[in-house]
Amino acid sequence: MRGRAAALALLAAALACGNDPYPDADASARILYVPFQEPPKTLDPQVAYSVYDHEILSNVYETLLEYHYLKRPYQLIPGLAVEVPTPRALGDGRVAYRFELRRGVQFAPDACFAQDGGGAAGRELLASDVAFSLMRIADPKVASPVIETFARIVGLRAFGERLTHLRESEPGFADLRIDQQYARAGPVEGIRTPEAHVLEVVLGAPYPQILYWFAMPFTAAVPWEAVAWYDGRAGRDAFGEVAVGSGPFRLARYDKRSRIALERNPSWYGIQHPEWKAPAATYPSEGAPGDAERGLLADAGRPLPFLDRIELRLEKEPIPAFTKFVQGYYDRSRIPKESFEKSVHEGGLSPAMAALGMRLERSVQPAVYYLGFNMIDPVVGRPAGERGRKLRQAMSLAIDSSEFLRIFLNGRGIPAQSPLPPGIFGHDDQYRNPYRQPDFERARRLLAEAGYPGGVDPQSGAPLQLSFDTGDTTVQGRLRFQFFIDAWRRLGLDVELAATTYNQFQSKVRNGAYQIFFWGWVADYPDPENFLFLLAAEMSQTRSGGPNTANFADPDYDARFQEIKDRENDARRLEGIRALLAILERERPWIELFHPEDYALVHGWLHGVKPSGLAVPVWKYQEVDPALREAQRSAWNQPVRWPAYALAGAVLAFALPGVVSWWRERQ
Amino acid sequence: MARWLVRRLAWGVATVLGVLLFLFLLFFVYAKPQDVARRALGEKAPPEVIAQWLANHGYDRPALWNAAHPLDTMLADHYRRMLTFDFGRSDADDVPIAKRLRHGVGPSLSLTVPLFLLGLPLALVLALAVAFFRDSYIDRVGVVACVLAMSVSMLIYILAGQFLIGRLLRWFPISGFDPDPRVIARFVVLPVLVGLLAGVGSEVRFYRAVFVEETGRDYVRTARAKGAGDGRVMGRHVLPNAAIPILTNAVMEIPFLFTGAILLESFFGIPGLGSITVDAINANDFATLRVMVYLGALLFVAGQIATDVAYTLADPRVRLG
Repeated sequence: MRGRAAALALLAAALACGNDPYPDADASARILYVPFQEPPKTLDPQVAYSVYDHEILSNVYETLLEYHYLKRPYQLIPGLAVEVPTPRALGDGRVAYRFELRRGVQFAPDACFAQDGGGAAGRELLASDVAFSLMRIADPKVASPVIETFARIVGLRAFGERLTHLRESEPGFADLRIDQQYARAGPVEGIRTPEAHVLEVVLGAPYPQILYWFAMPFTAAVPWEAVAWYDGRAGRDAFGEVAVGSGPFRLARYDKRSRIALERNPSWYGIQHPEWKAPAATYPSEGAPGDAERGLLADAGRPLPFLDRIELRLEKEPIPAFTKFVQGYYDRSRIPKESFEKSVHEGGLSPAMAALGMRLERSVQPAVYYLGFNMIDPVVGRPAGERGRKLRQAMSLAIDSSEFLRIFLNGRGIPAQSPLPPGIFGHDDQYRNPYRQPDFERARRLLAEAGYPGGVDPQSGAPLQLSFDTGDTTVQGRLRFQFFIDAWRRLGLDVELAATTYNQFQSKVRNGAYQIFFWGWVADYPDPENFLFLLAAEMSQTRSGGPNTANFADPDYDARFQEIKDRENDARRLEGIRALLAILERERPWIELFHPEDYALVHGWLHGVKPSGLAVPVWKYQEVDPALREAQRSAWNQPVRWPAYALAGAVLAFALPGVVSWWRERQ
Repeated sequence: MARWLVRRLAWGVATVLGVLLFLFLLFFVYAKPQDVARRALGEKAPPEVIAQWLANHGYDRPALWNAAHPLDTMLADHYRRMLTFDFGRSDADDVPIAKRLRHGVGPSLSLTVPLFLLGLPLALVLALAVAFFRDSYIDRVGVVACVLAMSVSMLIYILAGQFLIGRLLRWFPISGFDPDPRVIARFVVLPVLVGLLAGVGSEVRFYRAVFVEETGRDYVRTARAKGAGDGRVMGRHVLPNAAIPILTNAVMEIPFLFTGAILLESFFGIPGLGSITVDAINANDFATLRVMVYLGALLFVAGQIATDVAYTLADPRVRLG
């Protein structure tokens, strides 16, 4: 009975509180509340490669360059650097970049700075810290996924090899402090710090896209003290579990399984020195067309950041997350499929949601999803010659991307005509790929020309059998793949779904034993090279383990790709890209499906939200109105108490007659 | 008793060692560490990065046989780690597994302890009441209600609880967790209520059957003949005599308080030990999954032995040997 009394007391206490998941004291604070569906895998900037990792990292660490928050196509602005450098040719084919860093930028205070006997106060960020980060990329122990890209820096790969050699051959070397190890294995020929605030990077060959990489967390300045201190030993965290940066926010709490919190970093240069009016520390006063009308320039010229804290809560299931958003406990939300009809009406906000003062933010992501053919397959690939090409063309004509988007993604995406999404140089809004407009008549003709009239393979007399290979065995996956298979069945082709475990699928891919697959690519940086390289022969999956899963190898394509890949965005590059797209249009290694579109709902009290598909430090640009939020929350969340009383009454009414009659009998 | 205990423990150890062997075959021989590495590092990872990852996790050794160093195999290492509780790091994100377990215990216990402490007395009291009013409408409606309650899946309770109580009535947050003492109660009440509701039906029905059987026995008639009242008969005579089945049920549950409530934790977003298992499956985090299966087996064996011992303490007629 005491248990029940305790339960009732707890119930009463909790009932009095209502459904507010946050402490009452936080109601008036400038806190941004956002859900996260998956925790970061690691916070090591040189290793982290997922959207979730970068969402946190880009706000805590800083890079030499950043992206302009509002302008599209994406444009680089100086971050830690004073300006965006221009490449300087060194004559022997090498290219040098000279970054001048801001003076007086500080790392946030952290226990790791005390290991030399000094205090835990931060220290100044210098060019050598960026150099240290670049060297970490080459350190095999760090296992950075982007070493291939940075190996273009002269001598960087050799540095990594020297490091491994010293660690293996020299006793005690591996136990030296990390900065001492790097100093012994260094210097790297292509990374120089002629002055404390100047970093020079030399590439072996022109690669203009390298500047984009200096806006990604991989190149974020990392203090060696943090790497040395946080080694995962003696009760200390591993470096991937902490963040010691110089950014506008610092990590206040990192509980990956429920809550991550960032708080304003008072030692950030933007807060210390608003008079610098640094581009990455001031709200921009220019934006893309339409930004002014959407109120995105209201804060123009104000020093950043606006928020005091960012609270992220783990929400694995989309529906509870969305419910809490509608209750006002999250400031922005994705729209789950189940709530789409309710939230979006004809591409705009539904009246019900508009009445709550929300906004809808739409943006096409720099990504492409596609069906690929394994081009080394004897039936669908290049060995089949003209027959294979016509088969691929016919299969491409049968797939209706708009219908796929409508059925499976609530229309959230635009049908792809080529691998290049909007906002990427070389994308043409007017271009219509002749093989990507659904046309069954033409498809059947092509199929007949390929030697498969009505989809029938003359050798066997039965419909041509193909296999659609996937590592996705979920029900949703099967439904999606069935959509493609049904379309091909209308041509008379017999495509079988070979859904295996992800591991088995991967081993099929490594062995080249697959025919058709579904895949996607999200850009690392906004450059056409980052899409078109997916079809370069040197990136072939089966031959070299690269991302060219279609194993497409076309000498003409490769030659033209070499021409455009390192060029500036000029007329010749555009011409080259057109030629590449023409090859893809004809050869059809891919059936380009769609570029996904992000729909986000934002409450009326959150300002300065511009979606971006790249690792952009968005939170420093965002602003909340806590008074409006608190008023709305309490208006929307009054608990309904009468059912509790009704239930208690009903239980009493049910049991009372029995107890009374037992009592009477006893008397 | 001592000999029995030794034999029982020996069987328990053998069972756990067998589970470990099974785990090894499943996670090192059937699913290869190379595949785990690819999943952990993503499609974009080049081969040398994968090799380094395997080395960092100790997966670059021979699986079963190493002629030069017979003990430097993944099999030996697997047993050594598990038996010394040196669990190493997660395959998915390199977090020490022991640390994750430590962090998960608190949230799990804050859910399972109230569930256990409220659930057992609630079920016993309701069962006693229903048995007490045997053959009245309270008994019949009670039994029907119990059967209905136990026929509904846990998922329905969770979803209905979140929808009705969380969303429509707005009494509590529909999900989430925060160990902050100012708000923790708000998060725990709803899952505890749902857990109680989902579990109480089958327990009440079971305990009622036990009590009803006991109330028909001779000693009850004797007690009544000696003038004992209804309350005294139920509380002093029936309840202790029904202790064995109650103990079987309850003692078995205690070890699993630590492993958490998988469904409740997953759906309410409570970062306890139950959801660790689910997360590990979803993330292909086999290192964590192995540990959870191993701990589950350990606790299960421990629970069984504890139940048997509890019998002898509760009922002098039971002799183990």
